[in-house]
Amino acid sequence: TVLPARPPSPPRAQIPVSSSLPPPPPKPAPPKPQPHSFPPPLPPPSSSVPAPPPLPSSRPEIAASGFGPAPNTLTEPVWDTVKRDLSRIVSNLKLVVFPNPYREDPGKALRDWDLWGPFFFIVFLGLTLSWSASVKKSEVFAVAFGLLAAGAVILTLNVLLLGGHIIFFQSLSLLGYCLFPLDVGALICMLKDNVILKVVVVCVTLAWSSWAAYPFMSSAVNPRRKALALYPVFLMYVSVGFLIIAID
Amino acid sequence: MDFNQQQSADENYGNPTTCFFHVFFKGAALAFYILFSFFVGNFVVIFVVTAVLAALDFWVVKNVSGRILVGLRWWNEIDDQGESVWRFECLDQESMARLNKKDSWLFWWTLYLNAGAWLLLSIFSLIRFEADYILVCGVCLTLSIANIVGFTKCRKDAKNQVQQFAARTLASRVSSTFQSAFTIV
Repeated sequence: TVLPARPPSPPRAQIPVSSSLPPPPPKPAPPKPQPHSFPPPLPPPSSSVPAPPPLPSSRPEIAASGFGPAPNTLTEPVWDTVKRDLSRIVSNLKLVVFPNPYREDPGKALRDWDLWGPFFFIVFLGLTLSWSASVKKSEVFAVAFGLLAAGAVILTLNVLLLGGHIIFFQSLSLLGYCLFPLDVGALICMLKDNVILKVVVVCVTLAWSSWAAYPFMSSAVNPRRKALALYPVFLMYVSVGFLIIAID
Repeated sequence: MDFNQQQSADENYGNPTTCFFHVFFKGAALAFYILFSFFVGNFVVIFVVTAVLAALDFWVVKNVSGRILVGLRWWNEIDDQGESVWRFECLDQESMARLNKKDSWLFWWTLYLNAGAWLLLSIFSLIRFEADYILVCGVCLTLSIANIVGFTKCRKDAKNQVQQFAARTLASRVSSTFQSAFTIV
């Protein structure tokens, strides 16, 4: 790429989304932003047109510093986009449902929210419940889907109306990912039809889901209103649990 | 003869594969919904297949055909302060000028037509009071409208950026002309 010839060179006509931002803090920052001494993951800022080599590994580092995809994602191969989104779903799932050190900080924990995971989990739960039901299968599915989707929206509004700080889509994403344990529980209950087993499995997965949702919800609101924010979440998961047990 | 035909086909659409997929998922979702709701009554299958096709279409438009056909991209991210920020990205001027006009015509019109079709279908199911089908139409309509809004904002943002760049270039050119004029004098 040829750099512009005149000294006070204005940037070329592109939206320098992340290329004009300084390099991420962990790397030793060079004194002046020369293109060739940028840290390896970031491409030179002036190139966006030719197809540069794909940078799948740069995504997590850039995301951690909140700058978004590198400028060359406009020309990246499609397969890279697919891989990036799939790995994001997996990492979001691990962050939300399994123990990890970032749980106390909701801003950091689910920074790259996405709605694919929640969509898949809600549909899967609806399908499992519908399959387990011997009658009225489509009503069961519609009720499950409607309950979960509307429930997620209402719970988010609840937090916002309590004066909490949470981002709408981030919260939807979080509540969707927290359904994963209940999905597992519903699958087990579908395969084994023993009532005692169902009750035990549902209680365990219910506790797991609530534990997963707790830090995000509680840190989003004023400490005095924690219970007001958490109780509806727990209530929704309990009602889903009842649905799972009651279906035969 | 063959070469001429090939060339005219290429001049028509710059990216035929992408255009095909852009239209395919939308068409498949609409076709599946309409055909199956008339002939087969199984709501769960209709819902799941239509919703999955609509979601795949949303992803394809947002991540693939938006990039390739019109050079635009939009997404949302959370910054360090925990605030949500909508980001818009576009290709630079030369690439935008080189984009195929037919591609972008197809892109925008299929987006609008798709949203219009789902709106019609929602109205039909509203009239018939079928709550289940309203749910399906609502989901698909929401996804189409989200893409339309996102890309329209992105296009406006791109136009603003171009105008700002033009203004800045003009200002810097004028000032450097002045400077060189004064040094000569």
